[in-house]
Amino acid sequence: MIRLLNVSMMPPGVGQPVLRNLTLSVPQGEFRWLLGPSGAGKSSLLRLLTLETRPSAGQMDLLGVSVTHASRATLRNLRRRIGFVPQDYRLIGEWTVFDNVALPLRLRGASERDTRREAFAVLEWLDVAHLADKRPGTLSGGEQQRTAIARALIGRPELLLADEPTNALEDAQARRLLTTFQELIEMGTTVIVATHNEALVHEAPAASIVLQDGTIANTDIQGGMSVRRGERS
Amino acid sequence: MSAPVSPGLRSGSLPLLVALMTLLAGLSLAGLAGVQTLAESWSGAARNATTIEIPSDTPQLADRTHTLIQTLTKTPDVTTVRELSTKEVQTLLAPWLGQVSESAGLPGLSLPVVLIVAHTGTPDLGTIVQGVLPEAVVEEDRRWGERLNGLGNSLIACAWLAVSLIAAIAVLSVGMTVRRSVMAQRKSVEIVHFLGAGDLTISSRIAGRAALLSLAGSLVGLLLLSPVITMLARKLTPFSHGAPAAASPASTWDALIATWWSTLHVLPRMLLEELGALPLIAAGLGWLTAQTVVLVWLRRLP
Repeated sequence: MIRLLNVSMMPPGVGQPVLRNLTLSVPQGEFRWLLGPSGAGKSSLLRLLTLETRPSAGQMDLLGVSVTHASRATLRNLRRRIGFVPQDYRLIGEWTVFDNVALPLRLRGASERDTRREAFAVLEWLDVAHLADKRPGTLSGGEQQRTAIARALIGRPELLLADEPTNALEDAQARRLLTTFQELIEMGTTVIVATHNEALVHEAPAASIVLQDGTIANTDIQGGMSVRRGERS
Repeated sequence: MSAPVSPGLRSGSLPLLVALMTLLAGLSLAGLAGVQTLAESWSGAARNATTIEIPSDTPQLADRTHTLIQTLTKTPDVTTVRELSTKEVQTLLAPWLGQVSESAGLPGLSLPVVLIVAHTGTPDLGTIVQGVLPEAVVEEDRRWGERLNGLGNSLIACAWLAVSLIAAIAVLSVGMTVRRSVMAQRKSVEIVHFLGAGDLTISSRIAGRAALLSLAGSLVGLLLLSPVITMLARKLTPFSHGAPAAASPASTWDALIATWWSTLHVLPRMLLEELGALPLIAAGLGWLTAQTVVLVWLRRLP
């Protein structure tokens, strides 16, 4: 469950807010496209939702926790329940693909045996298991993106956020990812995907949040996500 | 190696810095030990000795000197009363009068009688001497002792100041190295933080590495220090009492170890303990400094 009430965000050193008076609510287990032109505030909203920053005004609740005045320990525990696929992948260059992907489970204190089993399952599903011992710097953009997706999925997050998660993927991989999102929703995960890709949105019609100049221009609630099958190869 | 859950420390020149700091700290501690021993010796010797000078033109010099010695010997707290020989008096006065041969003596100048009284407490020797032989001059070495003691204490304070300064520089160096390392890996640190790593998880990994590198650097520093310490110990050997003689060794290694051990034996026990504790102190300081620097840095992240 995501609930924002009159939330504004003004990064330090910036004269005006990049997000203004956002009010929205996304129930648990639902999907939303996050749409809008460049500079509309999509990345800023994702930064708020991934707890990289706190709102400068307003009330924000994530997964039943009030974030606005939460302690560091509360935020730390909340972050472990959130998966994020950043646009720039944010992989740790000194570590192997396996260590990058295993990190969320290790932070939760999972046993090394379980971590290994889960990590290889998700890596195999994303066709990057053979790259487990490689460093991210030696991978292509698509492979790095799949590694970032694997890291976001491994902890079975209650909230999954993705920023242009298909921009380096081939069509078949993008389609598989959409199917995964649908499966996650069915398991109760809330999924929000920011994209410019209209074809992708057309392929999986779902409710959307449209941002414009840091405010919500339109909230289109048209029911659950449904991936159109067989339209792309 | 444990599974990574946070970026480690990029060591840079940390071990080298710690090695040099350990070397400096070791030298300072050795100096401090020397000064302490010297100060104690000065203060002990001066506090428990009094010099009595009887002019050579005192009437009935020999008899009255004998009476004074008898009286002093019977005084409580006085342990020994010794009359310096002519040669000893000449040696004592040599800085002022120059070297003179024993046989020739000092033409036109007769030497005073000098008594050295050793005592354990603080007997009022001035009054006793005045009663028996008013012409005698009592030189209270205690005043000199107090002055020497003051000088010794000043030297000790300087040595401690040097040790403290070295510790402060070491903390500063470790802090700067850790901060540079965190800044260089800022993105990685932020990634693990925003994935839910606790502050202590991040800081402990970096601090653990800092402690390990400080320990290693400090051990190298001690190794560099060992020739200096051995040399110092050899200089002290003639003044040591009861130092065991090195046994005849069977091999070259045995010979080296036996010589080294007998050499180290003359060093003050406290100095050896302090030197032994240096690597642990360096590791502890490295750990604490790294923890503090990383935890403070992480406070900027929400």
